[in-house]
Amino acid sequence: MNIRAGDRVKLKTEKEEIEGVLMPSSEADVVVVKLDNGYNIGINKNKIKNMKMVEKHKEKEIKKKTIKEKTGLPTITILHMGGTIASKVDYATGAVKPKFTPSELLELFPELGEIANIKSRLVGNLLSGNMRFSHYNLMAKEIEKAVKEGVDGIIVTHGTDTLHYTSAALAFALEDLGVPVILVGSQRSSDRGSSDASMNLICAAQFVVKSNFAGVAMCMHKSMDDKFCGILPATKTRKFHSSRRDTFKVINAKPWAEVSKKGEIKWLDKSYDKKDKKKKLSLKLFKDLKIGILKAHPNMFVEEIKAYSSFDGIILEGTGLGHFPVLEYDKLTAEHTKILKEIEKLAKKMPMVMTSQTIYGRVDMNVYAYGRELLKAGVLGNYADMTAETAFVKLAWLLSNKMDVKENISKSLRREINERIESKEDFLE
Amino acid sequence: MDYKKLGFKAGLEIHQQIDSSKLFCSCPSALREDEPDFTIKRELRAVPGEHGEIDVAAFYEQLKGKHFIYEGYDKNSCLVELDEEPPHAINQEALRIALTVAKMMHCDISDEMQVMRKTVVDGSNTSGFQRTVLIGRNGWIKVNGKKIGINYLILEEDAARRTAEDAKSVTYRLDRLGIPMLEIVTAPDMKTAEEVKETAKVIGMLLRSTGKMRRGIGTIRQDVNVSIKGHSRVEMKGVQDLRVMIRYIEKEVERQVKTKGKEEPHVRNVKPDFSSKFLRPLPGAARMYPETDIPLVRPDLKGIKLPELIDEKVKRFEKWGLGKDLALLIAGSEKAGLFEELVKKHKKIKAGFIAETLTGTLLELKREYKIEEVSEDDLRKVFDYLSEGKIHKDIILSVLVDMGKGQFDVKKYEGLSTEDLHKEILKVIEENKGAPFGAMMGKAMARLKGKASGEQVAQMLKELLKGHAGK
Repeated sequence: MNIRAGDRVKLKTEKEEIEGVLMPSSEADVVVVKLDNGYNIGINKNKIKNMKMVEKHKEKEIKKKTIKEKTGLPTITILHMGGTIASKVDYATGAVKPKFTPSELLELFPELGEIANIKSRLVGNLLSGNMRFSHYNLMAKEIEKAVKEGVDGIIVTHGTDTLHYTSAALAFALEDLGVPVILVGSQRSSDRGSSDASMNLICAAQFVVKSNFAGVAMCMHKSMDDKFCGILPATKTRKFHSSRRDTFKVINAKPWAEVSKKGEIKWLDKSYDKKDKKKKLSLKLFKDLKIGILKAHPNMFVEEIKAYSSFDGIILEGTGLGHFPVLEYDKLTAEHTKILKEIEKLAKKMPMVMTSQTIYGRVDMNVYAYGRELLKAGVLGNYADMTAETAFVKLAWLLSNKMDVKENISKSLRREINERIESKEDFLE
Repeated sequence: MDYKKLGFKAGLEIHQQIDSSKLFCSCPSALREDEPDFTIKRELRAVPGEHGEIDVAAFYEQLKGKHFIYEGYDKNSCLVELDEEPPHAINQEALRIALTVAKMMHCDISDEMQVMRKTVVDGSNTSGFQRTVLIGRNGWIKVNGKKIGINYLILEEDAARRTAEDAKSVTYRLDRLGIPMLEIVTAPDMKTAEEVKETAKVIGMLLRSTGKMRRGIGTIRQDVNVSIKGHSRVEMKGVQDLRVMIRYIEKEVERQVKTKGKEEPHVRNVKPDFSSKFLRPLPGAARMYPETDIPLVRPDLKGIKLPELIDEKVKRFEKWGLGKDLALLIAGSEKAGLFEELVKKHKKIKAGFIAETLTGTLLELKREYKIEEVSEDDLRKVFDYLSEGKIHKDIILSVLVDMGKGQFDVKKYEGLSTEDLHKEILKVIEENKGAPFGAMMGKAMARLKGKASGEQVAQMLKELLKGHAGK
């Protein structure tokens, strides 16, 4: 007897008879059944005397809708990489099913149909924390395909956890990009009516169609209100809150613009690359290199540095202006000399780039003694204001494309470094 | 009207708020009327089901196309209510209370419970769904000897409350969102309007017996489902007032007879003039799917103790000499525990007097003297002094007023010696020569208030007057 989830069953325990639809169960010793009132309950397997099938699950046909392309509208390609932006609930089984086809997207976001013709491709559906450099290459190639098809812009749906790594990666990999590539994610799952997915997606589409912006950027909520989304620079943004909609904030820079669902655009920085579909895109992809990120902290040990001996490059997240404990102060700090020696050794084998764990502000290793020791040891990245995540991606990219790291690491290639940082009353704003 | 002939069927759905912090976060469960600290604008979308079923009720709501404004207080709503943080683990205290009620109603309780998301798109839940979990099934209660089935006992979060609406938006206040609520759904076993009222009474008593339900307006909501043969189910919303429940039901039956069954199942709002108005169609089968942010809940039934029912308490208190009304009053109050403690400790003080003090006297304190609270410890002290003879029961109101104001000094109330009393009363007699006894009593009591009982004063006054008259 082959009973599977979705089948209607009747089971007998000592106390009662329960009828309902069998649900998949996350726990091995529990059987989960959906009652007719919609609620799920769990019964310990050892309490079940017998279970029989009442009716086999019939896969209901899902009517496919065909969409007519509107003439005169620009075309946007949506590439799905994860961060389920669209889903439907199967109330019969409780399953949440992600949706990727253009017709499904238009059904869920009819506003899109008024803005552009939509093409849609499922490239991957991974939790963004699982991404590796090869996935960046996959995305870059798909984007190249879309650009060759002559679309007006590309939207990439992506999980929020590492969205800022990917936006930096694509900014570097897509050289001479003449159209907008906007990354979109959502902090609240798209099966719920309150999901930020719809507004993020629609605002991104409006921005693609109504502006002459070219380049990589991300589109996420500006505040907890459903009022405006921010179009955020690819290499100067970071996820700052584990759950809030407005988790992405810009560092040492301004958002490009704010966009509403209706398509109003408020520009904050107009120094972007202008749209030019004739530009020839060239791909500079990633090799599967070993790049580490090491954070300085009190009570460090030389083993932490040694752990990266076999790597191709390291990003250092130093304290303050870019410091590691490499100088002795008293008997208690003897370890620090060991740390300095190890850094000197590694710096000869691989590029080591300093960033600051303060996130905001610039790296300057000239000011304090231990900073100067690090410079002497050959640590790079002085005067730059890159986030550790952006520096990580940049280092991997420079090495992958055989570019001189020393020469290029502190040079701004994709707006990842500011020559000037302007003052703001609250730099966190 | 012959309800039996009409095929009258009725069921109750009762929503009662639990007195604990919120169900999926640690915010306090309290409603506020002062100016909110923040507002947030949101839009909600109706998420269609996999098979294109757009729920009728949800679609109806979405048609209005309004956006929502959520107003809240920093101290009462956190990121969870704002749908900016996943829910925390289910409130263990609220769960325990729900399990207690489930057991009191003889329900079957599952080994594992799954919190579900119930789609709601009228904006009253910031996430677009309500979190709800089935606690008990197939229970029953006895109402005047008859078994009434309890189909479901559900634990769920209350919704935000509507505070304003205009053409473009609806404003909801977040203070109520997340307050834990018990939903009790009876079987449609009630065959008369009277039976519905009695059932509501019994359920109310059972819930209050836990001592863990929130009190006040809006903390309990009752809907009555009514149908006659050939007519679809109509849910009457907001029938909390037991005094008028029967009239509402009768009016609805009359209405159903007139419409002759040509209606879809729907929800009606009741009005003060006993009429009712169509509110919305009844939603289809509950649109629910698992709340995957919360693991399956395995209830721990070992620590669950069933409380004594208020009805049982009343019977016990009556045996102690309390009249039925006073017994009912004290048994259902928050002071029931203190009452029992004091009765057991002070065997020489009449139970009725203790009960009256803890109910009527405290109420008078509130009304006349604006004293909201006297602590239980202060109340214990009062009865200790009473037992020790340091104060007299006639002046207990003044003692409580002083305690409420924080000005109590037992020395002020210690009884005067007979000599001193003598002196004072003589003074009164001198100052009020020729006045009638009643007037003199008045003056004497005013002067000696708290220092002697009325009997003492009256007796002494009588004696001294006799002696005086003799002069």
